[in-house]
Amino acid sequence: MSVTAMAVLVLALSPPPKTTLPFIEDDYARGLAEARTRKLPLFIEVWAPW
Amino acid sequence: MRAFVFGDESLKEQAGRFVWLSIDTEKEINAKVQQRFPIERLPTFLVLDPKDERVALRWVGGATVTQLQKILEDGRLAVLGSAPGGGPEPAFARAERLYGQRSFGEAAKAYEEALKAAPKDWPRYSRAVESLLFALSSTYDCTTSLQIAREALPRLRGTASALSVGGRGLECALDLPKAEAGRPDSVAFFEKAAREAIADVKLLAAADDRSSLYGDLVRARKDAHDEAGAKATAAEWAAFLEGEAAKAGTPEARTVFDAHRLSAYLELGEPQRAIPMLEASERDFPQDYNPPARLGVAFRELKQWDEALAATDRALAKAYGPRSIRILLTRSDILLARGDAGGARATLTKALGAARALPPGQRSEPLIASVQKKLGALPQQP
Repeated sequence: MSVTAMAVLVLALSPPPKTTLPFIEDDYARGLAEARTRKLPLFIEVWAPW
Repeated sequence: MRAFVFGDESLKEQAGRFVWLSIDTEKEINAKVQQRFPIERLPTFLVLDPKDERVALRWVGGATVTQLQKILEDGRLAVLGSAPGGGPEPAFARAERLYGQRSFGEAAKAYEEALKAAPKDWPRYSRAVESLLFALSSTYDCTTSLQIAREALPRLRGTASALSVGGRGLECALDLPKAEAGRPDSVAFFEKAAREAIADVKLLAAADDRSSLYGDLVRARKDAHDEAGAKATAAEWAAFLEGEAAKAGTPEARTVFDAHRLSAYLELGEPQRAIPMLEASERDFPQDYNPPARLGVAFRELKQWDEALAATDRALAKAYGPRSIRILLTRSDILLARGDAGGARATLTKALGAARALPPGQRSEPLIASVQKKLGALPQQP
């Protein structure tokens, strides 16, 4: 497979989520630690991909 | 939400006010978080105080950008512990705390107290009503829900909340026992209110909220044994969703409507209309299990067993978590319908094992019971 074809496939596999918010994905411990360090509330979006 | 809300430019100013975390409930890695914070419905948004991991604010269901802005502002204030002020605010703050802790019965009482003390222009009115109705649904109190929704609807006219409150009222009315004297009046009232809310094109609401309300309206027509009316409503529903999908700027935004469109086509008795849409989604997102899983359902309804089984094969190769068990259930239905009871039994046995093996937080006793029931209903082995 060519590098270009691989790049196209990777793009197809992972559509870039369009968000203006810097979400941490699936890592509660990291989110909580960061919120404690920065003294900010932790916003959690609980969802499913279906 | 990703496709339509979280990308909105107006939310940029909120980016530095929170730490943002996304939890996919299908992933095993998140099972412990789900055990810690059980969720009744998806999506749910939580605002946590990181000091003690207290849920300061809970919002159940989708939200428009405007609603999300209010949720964020209230969540931030709840964590900062700002003085609630007078009027309805102390009761509202108590209700929010109890709702965050999932003490739904007590939260409902506090929300009612806040609403009674609220002035006419109280800015938190719609959020209080929506959270109260969800709290009541969690305690199976349809009688109070109907009363609250009926009182609130005139005040919510022209807002996104009119859709969800009208929908909740209609669901509750339809759930009343058939013999209950007030049932016909309640169903008629909320069906009319739901129709009015859906017809209000100026109302800025999430498309999936409108779509869900169409589903309720189809149910109401079926409840009235009005098959032609149910089909006509399903046709309106499908047309609405097709219009929204056509407006979507990206394949990701378009696929958001796939599940609702499939439901509308099934209600119409036209599952074949879902095939090109789902095939396009499968091409656009080859690692997503949803398009082939939905194709399995559509082909099953079309009695195209080979295509249906092939679609579930593709879906199962990519699926993970509790959803893979649902796909196995679809597959067992297909096998049974084409006369392969042995294959159906083997598939259900696999589904039961997978359901039992899910970790706490993801494991669902009702799901296990439904798989067992299906297994028990299979024809006896010779």
